Amino acid sequence: MSNLRDIYLEEAEDLFKKMEESLLLLEKSPGDSDVLVADVFRSMHTLKGSSGMFGSVKVADFVHHLETIYDKVRSGEALLSKQIIDYTFKSLDLLKKIVLDPELKNTSNKEEYETLKNEVINLLDTVESQEALLIVKDSIESKVTYHIQFKPNENLFLNGTNPLLLIDELSDLGEARVFPRFDERIVDNSFEPKKSYVTWDVFLVKSKGIDPIKDVFIFVEDDSIIDINEIAEYDLLNQDSFIKEISGRSYSDRSIDPEDLKKIVEQLQPEEGNLNDKTEISAEESVEELPTFKNRVSETFKIKKATSTIRVPTVKLDELMNLVSELVTTQASLSLYTDKKEEDDLQTITESIEKLTRQLRDTAFGMTLIQVESLFNRFQRVLRDLSSQLGKEVDFLTEGGDTELDKRVIENVSDPLLHLIRNSLDHGIESKEERVKKGKPENGYIMLRSYYSGTKVFIEIEDDGKGIDPEKIREKAIERGIISKSDVLTREEIYDLIFTPGFSLAKDVTDISGRGVGMDVVRRNIHDLRGDIKVHSEIDRGTVITLGLPITLSVIDGLLIKVSNTDFIVPLMEVERCYKINRNEYVNKFNQLVMVEGEQLPFVDLRRVFNYDLDGDREEEYIVIVQNRGLKIAIAVDKIEGEYQAVLKPVGKYFKEQQFISGATILGDGTMALVLDAYKIIEQKELKYKRAII
Amino acid sequence: MSVFRDQEEKVVEEVNSYLSFKLDNEFFALDVKKVIEIIEVPHITSVPLSPSYMSGIINLRGKVLPLIDTKVKFGLEPVEYTIDTCIIVIEIKVEDEVIQVGTLVDQVLEVIEIGKSHIQPSPTIEAKYPLEYIQGMFRKDDNFIMLVSLEKVFSIDEVYFMQDTNDNEQEQLDSKA
Repeated sequence: MSNLRDIYLEEAEDLFKKMEESLLLLEKSPGDSDVLVADVFRSMHTLKGSSGMFGSVKVADFVHHLETIYDKVRSGEALLSKQIIDYTFKSLDLLKKIVLDPELKNTSNKEEYETLKNEVINLLDTVESQEALLIVKDSIESKVTYHIQFKPNENLFLNGTNPLLLIDELSDLGEARVFPRFDERIVDNSFEPKKSYVTWDVFLVKSKGIDPIKDVFIFVEDDSIIDINEIAEYDLLNQDSFIKEISGRSYSDRSIDPEDLKKIVEQLQPEEGNLNDKTEISAEESVEELPTFKNRVSETFKIKKATSTIRVPTVKLDELMNLVSELVTTQASLSLYTDKKEEDDLQTITESIEKLTRQLRDTAFGMTLIQVESLFNRFQRVLRDLSSQLGKEVDFLTEGGDTELDKRVIENVSDPLLHLIRNSLDHGIESKEERVKKGKPENGYIMLRSYYSGTKVFIEIEDDGKGIDPEKIREKAIERGIISKSDVLTREEIYDLIFTPGFSLAKDVTDISGRGVGMDVVRRNIHDLRGDIKVHSEIDRGTVITLGLPITLSVIDGLLIKVSNTDFIVPLMEVERCYKINRNEYVNKFNQLVMVEGEQLPFVDLRRVFNYDLDGDREEEYIVIVQNRGLKIAIAVDKIEGEYQAVLKPVGKYFKEQQFISGATILGDGTMALVLDAYKIIEQKELKYKRAII
Repeated sequence: MSVFRDQEEKVVEEVNSYLSFKLDNEFFALDVKKVIEIIEVPHITSVPLSPSYMSGIINLRGKVLPLIDTKVKFGLEPVEYTIDTCIIVIEIKVEDEVIQVGTLVDQVLEVIEIGKSHIQPSPTIEAKYPLEYIQGMFRKDDNFIMLVSLEKVFSIDEVYFMQDTNDNEQEQLDSKA
């Protein structure tokens, strides 16, 4: 039973999310509201049903009232007002709590429940008492029925044209009924299988405009008979009598000629004429029209429902991932063994296994990746509430929502991100008046941007607010004794001070932020994910905060290198080129630069960096050019072993501070190699440079 | 009947099992309940710029096992690998997370059962190794065996301590460069 309840809770969570998404869209673009309203309605209905089944009678009861409102909206009896949406959001928040507290044991929940329920019922009353305004949607009003007769040229097949595809395309334009009719010759002896004997009669209901229909036939119009007529200025296909009439005819030998059609339509006309003229319809009549609309909506449901996804418990996915990891390691052993054997057949098999393993690995790991979109959507809601609370008009923009990140990263980055967004909204974006005074547009914006670079995913939070004044940070930091007056700091270092525990620039502690406990936690969370965080700000222009996160694909393609008998892996995505160099010839030891193809690159000797023995004349060695986020650096290594599929394993807490190592992997012979984080090395090098310059 | 039970409970209560091992010529022991297994020393991959008592990592059936040179930790010379050198894999709780870690020792001896009453508090003799790592000692035959306090050796503070050490090394490195 508890198991069922878990499923219910999971489903409820999904439904809440769906409803919120649809509501937010509704708010933004009321234009295509019918599908969205239907979505909301359906979600509510499902929630009501399952809540009733799993003992949350209170939830079911509450949802019922909401559902009634949306039913009215859906049928066009009520207008979807901002008020309704606001109440719906409020209700959803409450319902989220009540789902977990079905008996209303928590008194505050109970109180809130009672008040809100009454409010919703009141709202329902007002909605009902409204002069039932009929809003037949534009899309329905302008529906027109076309009759298309298509008789392709007998030799159509010889051109390789498939007339069925054309008919398909036609039906995609709107709602269609297709009636094929065969030429009488199909039954006599002159029948030739390579010729076409079919004539199609298509009744198409779509918005006014004949051109899209013509476009369908653009390649066959020269040698086929195509007759397109508008036969009614409304939806004929929902007239049962019409369908009956037509279907009766289509199977008879008689062709449907335009004259006949006219008559049929005319006969129907008086019955449905008023449909055309919406100004004349009174409210009562509109209700009669309701069933048609409902039918349409329910059909939309069917189409939407067809998306095929299945739920899989994460445990199973993890298990799969472990197995794939093991397979990848085992495959590496096999490759190693094969290389020793020098047997052609074995080589072939090993190579195909290697290929398959790679594909399997990519597919399996692709399954654990989630689009950042899901995260962004969550924030939309928060921003909406906050901005209205603060009385600021803020546009929320997103970019790169299809960037994919590991599920675990998404989960752990959500809170820090939320904190940053709140900060932007609360401290970054100015009030309307202030913005106008500064000559900025009234509406501020907060932009969430996400993109890949190397093996990392970057998420940026950008606002066009007042920016952060480095001088103020400096003063505050001196005041708090974090730095001393004589300290010389770079701009970046100053911005880094924001992340010091207890540091806050806000004068007032608000409900939303300003206690100074946030940013250090944010940084710690990001660091725990082995990510990093950077601030860039310009006064009165805005602030950009950039998070760099590992995709943590647990398996990466790497380049296996050796330094002083220790194996390292450099992610292949970051490797640009490899060279064999003569150390003495190329390396200018004084300024630590190396010339490669006319390009001067900063140079890192891993032996030196890692405190390895510098002795042993290495006449020949290799350099690997790695690049990350536009920075390039040459890394000197002893030996390049080759490509390797590395299963990333965490090295654990004990090596938390060895940030230049992002993990370890098992090699074919069972020993371990360390995976280098090239970015960290580049960064370190950069830092040294800067210090040297200062 | 009740007398029997009393005695029985006493027995259950008081006797613990300890795994004894050798570092140099000294005898140590740790709670056998914490021991997962004892393994031979495989190929160790050292992690550059890590604290000196972190020997590196090894592959323990597909998992990364961090390895601690217990001798360095105790202020002795690093382990010299002989046929007797072993890794004791133990499970400890660090920062609310149960993790496995390997400790390098010169030689593993035996499992000793000993009553609580036989264990004496930490020695007050001259401190050859940090005394906070020792939670008690007992006598076995002619030898004193020191009970290692795992919680202390691998405690959270200890992890921070490790970080500090590393930071120092990093700074040294920076100043060198």
